[in-house]
Amino acid sequence: MSALEIQNIRKTYGAVETLKGIDISLESGEFLVLLGSSGCGKSTLLNIIAGLAEASGGDIRIGGRSILGVHPKDRDIAMVFQSYALYPNLSVHRNIGFGLEMRKVPAAERERAVQETAKLLQIENLLDRKPGQLSGGQRQRVAIGRALVRKPQVFLFDEPLSNLDAKLRMETRTELKRLHQMLGTTIVYVTHDQIEAMTLATRIAVMRNGRIEQLGTPEEVYDHPATLYVAGFVGSPPMNVLDGVVTGEGVQLDGGAVIALPVRLKNVVAAGRRVKLGVRPEALRLVGETADHRVLDVEIEVVELTGPELVVTGRVSGQRVTACLPPRTKLTVGMKQAFTFDEDALHLFDAETELALG
Amino acid sequence: MERQSFVFSVFIHACALLLAAVILAPLLWLFIMSISPAADLTAKPLVWWPQSIDFSRYGVLLSSVENSAGAAFVASLVNSILVAGMATIAALALAIPAAWAVSRTPSIGWSLYMVIATYMLPPVALAVPLYFGLAHLGLLNNVFGLALVYLTILAPFTTWLMKSGFDAIPREIEAAAMMDGAGLFATLRIITLPLAAPVMATSALFAFLLAWDEFFYALLFTSDLRAKTLTVAIADLAGGRVSDYGLIATAGVLAALPPVVIGLVMQRALISGLTSGGVKG
Repeated sequence: MSALEIQNIRKTYGAVETLKGIDISLESGEFLVLLGSSGCGKSTLLNIIAGLAEASGGDIRIGGRSILGVHPKDRDIAMVFQSYALYPNLSVHRNIGFGLEMRKVPAAERERAVQETAKLLQIENLLDRKPGQLSGGQRQRVAIGRALVRKPQVFLFDEPLSNLDAKLRMETRTELKRLHQMLGTTIVYVTHDQIEAMTLATRIAVMRNGRIEQLGTPEEVYDHPATLYVAGFVGSPPMNVLDGVVTGEGVQLDGGAVIALPVRLKNVVAAGRRVKLGVRPEALRLVGETADHRVLDVEIEVVELTGPELVVTGRVSGQRVTACLPPRTKLTVGMKQAFTFDEDALHLFDAETELALG
Repeated sequence: MERQSFVFSVFIHACALLLAAVILAPLLWLFIMSISPAADLTAKPLVWWPQSIDFSRYGVLLSSVENSAGAAFVASLVNSILVAGMATIAALALAIPAAWAVSRTPSIGWSLYMVIATYMLPPVALAVPLYFGLAHLGLLNNVFGLALVYLTILAPFTTWLMKSGFDAIPREIEAAAMMDGAGLFATLRIITLPLAAPVMATSALFAFLLAWDEFFYALLFTSDLRAKTLTVAIADLAGGRVSDYGLIATAGVLAALPPVVIGLVMQRALISGLTSGGVKG
């Protein structure tokens, strides 16, 4: 039995359809990340699960029980808000214990649960403070603690890290992962940050325009993007996309070069078809001694050293290409450099439907 | 601004002093008038600083001898406290739920603007209908009747003021409380209303002042000690054949005291900033 089952959920605001039939089934202990840019419907979906918005159609089941129409407090869920939404007039202790207090849990038991949670999140020393006296990271922990203490079936996170600075965001991300591994809870997490999605999720649902573009493990989404959109959204810098036409020898890029197709793609696409060829920047490397079938002659325009890697931007037959190379690579602006890549790194998308081929 | 030049800080302080002087000078003059001998106040040229200090007028106004000026004044003081107090409490009781509802349901916001629109009417336009209405209900020259009239002035005003107060409290906090299992009333009692306390106190204070200072309706709808309020009583002092300016000033000082006391008492509640820290920032 699934911990959380989302069946054909739709949401319309007047004539605008923000969710166009979402289907996701989540096993207990899974960490699902809803990934998408703003306006894709991911927060709406989370709010529908939380009960803060009503679905226009479809069903949601938690532990086999339909929860549509059930009051949020009776759904056995807890939510961490983007703004934390702590109760500013109550102490941290009471903030965390509020859910138990409202559910008439005896004071002794409540006290034990609050202490346990505070210990887990290392905020025991903050229990007597008010939220206003805490730093952003501490507030974040209290908000997580408030959700954890109730031990609900499903946790909902609405962009919980977006208000933290970069360093704290990474630390908290790791902390969240640790908590998930330790507690084995079922989590639905909304974000627009693909790195958060890649690192935290056991499964990612990439959303766009109220639909799921791809639902899969981080590896699947990264290695086998189902659509051009997913390919461009996941990964930083984004995947290189080159326009071309399929010929007998491979893909003829607009403006010249021919790239040989690997065997797995040879019989999939007919000659003459317009396609988009995708290669991740980190898959590109300098051409070695041996001759190669897949060579991109790049005119280098910009070279950026980020520290761990060298990000090189240039043009191949007029089309833009980015490559991530080892930091010590000797390259100068204006030179021509041949790049190559493994055949497994080649992605092919239909130019019209933007769906992955092969 | 850590680094201010000396001249600039002198300038700032001088401006502050000037502002304080402009605001406080009439009050000071009012008080001086109330303790000056009558002759000083009618002398030409005017004696700004009294030769002798005379507190007797306070005794006159606060005396409880029957049918004296004091009895009339004290009765009007009590009436004012009753009317303003009742109107304020009733206005808050109506405005808190109304403001919260409008704040949380933007689609019904038009109703509040409709009510606010009635503010555009000058009081004179409503005087006659209100008079007939009160007469029909037998509430003319009655503290309850006057409080009812004031309520129609205060309720829209306080609702509007408190709506902006509730708007400043993030809805997510209430959503979080709801998911934590708190019912509507528990959420309001434990979370929302304590957070709205500063704006509620401000609304109450302004509502009380508005009712306390109201003159036009009080003059029209009251006629004797049973309901006459302070503003009308002070006007009566000025309206006789012989006006004792000192007595009028004394009444003014006494009339100013209750609002000042209330303001001091509520000062703590007026200091806002309680919401900081609940959400980001």
